[in-house]
Amino acid sequence: MREKTGVIITAMLLCVFMVFALSGCLGGREINDLEIVIGMGVDKDEKTGDILLTAQIVNEDASGRTQGSSGGGEGKAYWNVSSTGESIFEAVRKLTHKTGNRLFVSHNQVVIFGNDIAAEGLQKYIDFFLRAHEMRPTVLILVAEGRASDIMDAKPETEKFPAMNIAKLVKTYGYTSHLYKVNMKDFASCQMSAETASFAPLITVSEEEGSKDVFVPGMAVFKNGKMVGKLNHDEVRGVLWVLGKVKSGVITVPSPDGGGKAILEIIEAKSKATPEIKDSKIIIHVMVEVELSLSEQTTAENLATVPAFGKIQDASEEVVRKEIMAAFKKTSELKADIFGFSEMLHKKYSKEWKSMKDNWDDIYPTIELDIDVASRVVTTNLLRNPASPKEGEK
Amino acid sequence: MSIEKGRISGSQLLFMFAGFVQGSALLVDFTIGITEQQSWMVILAGLVMMVPFILSYAALAKRFHGKNLVQINDMVYGRFLGKVLSLYYIFFLSMTLSFNILDVGELYKNFLMPDTPFIFLLAVFAAACAYAVAKGIEVLARVSHLFVITGIFVIVSTFILLIDQMDFSNFLPLFELPLIRIIQGIHILSAIPYGETLVFFMIMGRLNNTERAAGYALGGLLIGAMNLLAVSVRNTAVLGRTQSIWTSASFQSIRLIDIGTVLTRMDFLIGIAQTILIFFKCSLFFYALATALSQLFGLKSYLPLILPLAGIEVILAATVFQSPVDHAVITQNAGIIYSSPLIYVFPPLTLLIAKIRSLPGHERGGGT
Repeated sequence: MREKTGVIITAMLLCVFMVFALSGCLGGREINDLEIVIGMGVDKDEKTGDILLTAQIVNEDASGRTQGSSGGGEGKAYWNVSSTGESIFEAVRKLTHKTGNRLFVSHNQVVIFGNDIAAEGLQKYIDFFLRAHEMRPTVLILVAEGRASDIMDAKPETEKFPAMNIAKLVKTYGYTSHLYKVNMKDFASCQMSAETASFAPLITVSEEEGSKDVFVPGMAVFKNGKMVGKLNHDEVRGVLWVLGKVKSGVITVPSPDGGGKAILEIIEAKSKATPEIKDSKIIIHVMVEVELSLSEQTTAENLATVPAFGKIQDASEEVVRKEIMAAFKKTSELKADIFGFSEMLHKKYSKEWKSMKDNWDDIYPTIELDIDVASRVVTTNLLRNPASPKEGEK
Repeated sequence: MSIEKGRISGSQLLFMFAGFVQGSALLVDFTIGITEQQSWMVILAGLVMMVPFILSYAALAKRFHGKNLVQINDMVYGRFLGKVLSLYYIFFLSMTLSFNILDVGELYKNFLMPDTPFIFLLAVFAAACAYAVAKGIEVLARVSHLFVITGIFVIVSTFILLIDQMDFSNFLPLFELPLIRIIQGIHILSAIPYGETLVFFMIMGRLNNTERAAGYALGGLLIGAMNLLAVSVRNTAVLGRTQSIWTSASFQSIRLIDIGTVLTRMDFLIGIAQTILIFFKCSLFFYALATALSQLFGLKSYLPLILPLAGIEVILAATVFQSPVDHAVITQNAGIIYSSPLIYVFPPLTLLIAKIRSLPGHERGGGT
């Protein structure tokens, strides 16, 4: 009996002891002690050549996020704070000289690299973001056309936080398919291939009537980690057609009578790219299927007819083909395999690939693209005919 | 004389096997750097390779009904050689248990509780295992199906949540890696998740009925292997070529779960599942170690050994490796070498000798 009581007392003491040690409070940080980072910018310090890190931190009082404050106080909802260091980690830790608290980067949405950093090569700068405990692999990557710190400073009209606004801009790429969201893990994956190029959205600040707006003009192309060129909106969509990443967007074609335009919305797009080696020539067969809706027309002609649909479909197919060819032409000039054709060949022709691997930069521009586009207008939305006088009444 | 009175049924053995193999789900990462996109093949090839050895374990259990490993060794190899061999097994059990405890510590240190003192994490985990072992094999067997179901639930649910991010072309090209790397991968896989099932030498003797032991053991092994396969397929399909750069590919793929920006940050799922599964595996290891040692020393019960052994294992786990890099390199290379004779050579050899000598027919059994 005495022995059993001893065991029970020991067990209870152990449980009490464990409550203190295992409650998770050991590394606990109170919310008011957290410097919640929602965006980070990485530039080169012009004077020293070190890394200049800008972190966008939520200003809890001003943003109304803490208890007791209603709707936010005065001043900005965020605080852009910068520090320099020889490495990103050093710069992050040196930020505590200004903030007093360690940064909490779990909620970081975007990392923007300055143009100078991108030109130098992102390889050595992304390691910290992949390695750090709190950092998510889903954090978005962007490249500033100028300095990242300037982008972080452009306050949006409807969003409280510039970083959140930028993340939203990128995440809603599907409305136009003129850009694509690239996260840390995807970027790292492309970096690990010596042949495949990668891309990341470009971002710039446009200034109109005193207000600064951020704007995505296209995508930056990276080869072996270094930025080697840019793709404009149409070229980006050309790449996305092949990758099967087009979600939606607008295609404008001339109306069959030539009196106006037919504006089509991309409802759904599917694609398949298959490599073939024929007589030592590499051919990539690209098959794109697009479903469209007639969203607008600027002509009085009734476009909802079989012959008109046929002509519109043909014209839209030509637009898709042109966009793909434009993207291929640009990337051929850059010798940057953004489509991942090397990967496709590696997977399908692994034996032949060994002999191509070392000369891939020279082989890439010689690839022949066999593009087959099939488009279909599936709806005319709420109108059957345009609101214009009928044929006989003109 | 037997130091364990508990009895287990065939279906309980099946779940124990399955839960034990599932407990190595994190260790699948060991081969990723070597076998890359072909890891799934290695899991299947390792399974096929281990089948005859598992059959030899079951045949021994059937032949020496009611006997454990130390008793079998004494009967087959004689008192001296048998004890030397049993010591070799005990060394393997002790080292592997400490490595597994260390795995849990590293999981918590790296991903879940980075600021908690490392030794404390190890001690609490070892204490939990010690408690389970003290309850006896019957209790562990009775709850084994719960562990297996939890593991399957987490693996299946994470698989479904990540389906939209899977790219099955990541498995191509199918046969690209040099054969030597595949063989090394198969060796690691067969020695670690599958080969470690030799702990069941200390458990299968407690079966009610050893007639169908082979079927239950293989069934459990198959369930466990299918779980490992699902984990490997998920990681390769989601992470692609980056799977080899992460400290834990499983953890990283689960961090990518993002369903409508609402269902995110599911890291806790793998934390819970992994803790539960390694707990079960370590408890079985601990049980095998404690019973083997007490059998070797001729003790009446293994209970007095539990606490001292837990202390030794925690100290071993905390001191044996200087860094996680050390841990991975030694386990992948030295670890699988010293365990190989125990997994691949001695069980079939013991069976062969027993057949030649027509054991245990002429022995009175018991040994120690």
